[in-house]
Amino acid sequence: MQVFFQTIIGGVSLGAIYALVALGFSLVYRTMGLVNFAHGNVVTVGAYLASTFYLTAKLPFAVAMVVAIVVTAAIGLVIERVLRPLENRDFDLMLIGTIGFGIVLDALVIMIWGATGRAVPSPVQTAPLSLFGLRIRTYDLVVLAIAAVATVLLVLFLSRTKRGAAMQAVAMDHEAATAVGIHVGRSNAIAFMIGAGLAALAGGLVGPLLYVNPALGGTLGIKGFAAAILGGFGSIPGAIVGGLAIGILDSFTAGHFQGYSELVTFLVFTVIIMIRPTGVFGERTVNRA
Amino acid sequence: MTALSVEGLTVHYGGVCAVRDLSFEVPAGEAIGVIGANGAGKTSTLKAVMGLIPRKVGKLRLGDLDLSRTSSRDMVRHGIGYVPEGRHVFAGLPVEKNLLLGAYARKWNAETRATLAEVYELFPVLGEMRHRLAGALSGGQQQMLAIGRALMSRPRLLLLDEPSMGLSPKLVEDILAVLLRLRGEGLSLLLVEQNAKLTFEATSSCLVVENGEVAMRDTSEKLRHDPRVRQIYLGL
Amino acid sequence: MRYRIAALAVIAVAAWLLPYGLDSYAIHVVNIILIFSILAVGLGLCMGIGGQVNLAQVAFFGVGAYATAILTTKAGWGFWVSAVLAVAATVVMGLLVGTPALRVQSHYLGIVTLGLALAFTNWVTNAQIAGGAEGISAIPVPTIPGVDLSSEYLYYYLELIIFAVTLAFGLFIVRTALGRRMRAMRDDALAAGSLGAEVPVLRMTAFLLASIYGGIAGVLYAGLIRYVAPESFSIANMFLLLAMVIIGGRQSLVGCVAGAVVLYLVRELLVDYPTAAQIGYGSVVVLVVVFAPTGLAGLPPRIRQALRRRRGGAGEAARLGEFRPYEAVEAAAGDEPILVADAISMHFRGLKALDDVSLSVDPGEIRGIVGPNGSGKTTLFNVISGLYRPTRGRVRFRGRDATGLAPYRLARAGMSRTFQNLRLFGDLTVEENVLVALDRHATWQSWRYVGRPISVLRRDRDLHRRAGEVLDRYGLREFAALPPKSLPYGIQRRVEIARAMAAAPALLLLDEPAAGLNGEEVRQLSEIVRSIRDSGVTVIVIEHNMGLVMSLCERITVLASGKVIAEGLPAEVAQNPAVIEAYLGDSMSSDDLPTLPEVAR
Repeated sequence: MQVFFQTIIGGVSLGAIYALVALGFSLVYRTMGLVNFAHGNVVTVGAYLASTFYLTAKLPFAVAMVVAIVVTAAIGLVIERVLRPLENRDFDLMLIGTIGFGIVLDALVIMIWGATGRAVPSPVQTAPLSLFGLRIRTYDLVVLAIAAVATVLLVLFLSRTKRGAAMQAVAMDHEAATAVGIHVGRSNAIAFMIGAGLAALAGGLVGPLLYVNPALGGTLGIKGFAAAILGGFGSIPGAIVGGLAIGILDSFTAGHFQGYSELVTFLVFTVIIMIRPTGVFGERTVNRA
Repeated sequence: MTALSVEGLTVHYGGVCAVRDLSFEVPAGEAIGVIGANGAGKTSTLKAVMGLIPRKVGKLRLGDLDLSRTSSRDMVRHGIGYVPEGRHVFAGLPVEKNLLLGAYARKWNAETRATLAEVYELFPVLGEMRHRLAGALSGGQQQMLAIGRALMSRPRLLLLDEPSMGLSPKLVEDILAVLLRLRGEGLSLLLVEQNAKLTFEATSSCLVVENGEVAMRDTSEKLRHDPRVRQIYLGL
Repeated sequence: MRYRIAALAVIAVAAWLLPYGLDSYAIHVVNIILIFSILAVGLGLCMGIGGQVNLAQVAFFGVGAYATAILTTKAGWGFWVSAVLAVAATVVMGLLVGTPALRVQSHYLGIVTLGLALAFTNWVTNAQIAGGAEGISAIPVPTIPGVDLSSEYLYYYLELIIFAVTLAFGLFIVRTALGRRMRAMRDDALAAGSLGAEVPVLRMTAFLLASIYGGIAGVLYAGLIRYVAPESFSIANMFLLLAMVIIGGRQSLVGCVAGAVVLYLVRELLVDYPTAAQIGYGSVVVLVVVFAPTGLAGLPPRIRQALRRRRGGAGEAARLGEFRPYEAVEAAAGDEPILVADAISMHFRGLKALDDVSLSVDPGEIRGIVGPNGSGKTTLFNVISGLYRPTRGRVRFRGRDATGLAPYRLARAGMSRTFQNLRLFGDLTVEENVLVALDRHATWQSWRYVGRPISVLRRDRDLHRRAGEVLDRYGLREFAALPPKSLPYGIQRRVEIARAMAAAPALLLLDEPAAGLNGEEVRQLSEIVRSIRDSGVTVIVIEHNMGLVMSLCERITVLASGKVIAEGLPAEVAQNPAVIEAYLGDSMSSDDLPTLPEVAR
């Protein structure tokens, strides 16, 4: 039992990261009906930027994160602007377009930071907490807290602000949104910016948990995407549940199957998608494609 | 005084000419109807006025304002409200959010609240359902929501595309009552409809379009008894 | 034609002589390019022709290569035996990876296939049998008596022959029945299904083909390099492959090959600057997607079109011919109705689109279904033709229960339909649209492509002849080679009816066939529909044009708000107060309704 709970705890912090990545996917999908396959690469860029500002520029961790988020948000803007002609036209082409951006970003990362990775020391130095005989790393708690705050802020933004409501309206009906005066392109650009910002947040936070390397975002991106689909694509609670589920699944498969954990995770994911393509919370968005 | 004047409106879809060199006027405070069979180009006409589809237009004026180069999202800022065919409410958002988004082009302030109260007064059922998701409303309620949403921008001219579509006769009566009341309040209306009764009763004069061109135009009272209308409109 | 054969001969000779001009490194590069070309053709068949997003092609490649490596080095079997088994293993893998396509499409399929590709890399990096991260070396040289395949020059000829065969086979598929059906499914799976194309089988076929090509490429790779390691089958290579297909033009196999050649050469030129090369091809993918979605393969037609435009409209515009009526047959005396809808209800999240609708249509009848917009007419068609499964109620077609049967099964049982908003296959020509409907062979019979290619060709020639007859009958001959979207609306409507009739149905469903037609076209339409009925086909028509309905239909069913409010002869229905109220508004009191027009019945 002890091992069981320890495994869950081990999966939760990575799960929170997956959830953040999934949120970015879901937000962009919810607002503009696009799956951004470059999202994972944006995570990598975010991770490198945050670690560079933190380690090399010696900025405080929080400041380094903020700078990283701003820079990646700008990258998000560029991607949206270039692909804008395809919006509301060809879904598959746009998907391939984002893959193209992913290829470019991947190469840029290697060009700027090299092919080798780097370890990022944890910004929180306190010893692990012990609770009912379970060990909990303090940094894990920090990650959970930040992820929770980010989620709450996002929910508030979408439900309480004019811009947030407008962004959702665009996804539901872009023509009616235009008719009430919403600038669809600008709304999409903001969605992409926030999505990229969330990716950078995830990347920056994951630095101290994993080794930062060029392949980091690939794995995180795919698992985050899997999390988003598992929860129900476009759903915010779905992204959280899906992220945590994949994190915990990861943790268990790592315990039981060691090196084969990825294999098992993806097989389980495939089976779940076949049984319930709409995920846990999804229903209506699935037919949009 | 004219609210809207359109000259030489042409719309091409692919290789098809959906609307051909159409000209018409909506006098201020009046209601004009556009009727015709399915596929005659009625919806295209409205969408083209709003700039939602690519079009060519010689002259498009709202009062003294030239709108021929205005982007579709800015139409509402100049006072044109649009009720799309098939309602197109924001299904995943609550009723009140839908209405507030109708006022997107304006500041959300006390005045917006007042407009909201007016819309709820016009459609009491929307007030009762204000926290429900729009997608969960019945067809008639969604239609009211779509009209309410357009009214939230405090338009001078309201474009309505088939507000009676899919509604029962009783609900069509309700919609008619609302349109008459809005007209009474001085709003100009451009109504595209298939329901002959609704159109003739809500409007003062009508265009009958056929294959993207105006086949007839006259007062609603005269058209109502004109056998040729039935011939064009019902294809008999 | 002669020009083409000459060009082909020149290419063949050039390919044969190529090694004489190349040093040993260059021939190695050429060998790799050929392998990538085979992979790209496979991916093009799956994604470009079949429309199935497949990000696991590199895993198929890996399975082929690894299976060869394992079987030759660990099991000690001969190269060719191992090769056959390796391709078989890849096919199994392909079918497994393709299974999710039966349930999900587009980006969902993208992530699932990508995930499974990662699962594969994960397995080979860890599995002992696959040699872990070091991979497997010392794969034996494939043997052909008298030929030393350890020489890359001679290996080139082996690859060249296999490449030529696989490319030719791919083109053979694309240009005949199977490929046409796959392209139809890609353009519009829904319409393809309602014309009898077995969409699930076709999706699996797309993956099957992709895996065969992947497996063959893998075997060749193992034989060429004689060493396999996980990084050769990484996601980065998957994206390179994807870039080749997109830049080359995914809908053209030759384009895919061109993409593979160009991209690999560029990568080779920039071998010292791999990241710069990657940035380059990534950017080109983005640019191609935005500005030239058809890729390199789309350039020649574009240029040709531009030239033609500059020269001005030299060619004569195609003209619509007369419709040639079907031969009338004596109506088969059957008392059993051909279609019975029994108490159908269809609810969409609380909205009652259909509420207890019952309908019975006799053979040889023309039935009209009318009602105001939004009254549920099209929903009823969708239930009848199998696109929706009704919430309640049953549908019986030709005496058998047909409730919720897949559209392609209903189509094969003799039901055919048109769509309100025209669902012609946009990237197929008018003739191909008709060909898809004419082809009644089951997709599983496609084994003939391997076993009896001549019979496939013969059958295709027969289909073309029959398509010609259909086009002649509908006066569409001059439009045969044109894409439907370039045609005027009225002609597109006629193409859709011709297509639906090409499927030789017993029951034809027409959804607003007169929408957007002018008076003369409506008259022709009514002539066509009557002739169709006289040929023994039962017709149900949804229509707004009351004149057409009244003059054409024997019986009329009126829907309003999802319910049947009246049914009967046109004259009866037209006088029914409930109908006038619902359909015309009650100001149109029944006495000012016009009398029925005197159109010959």
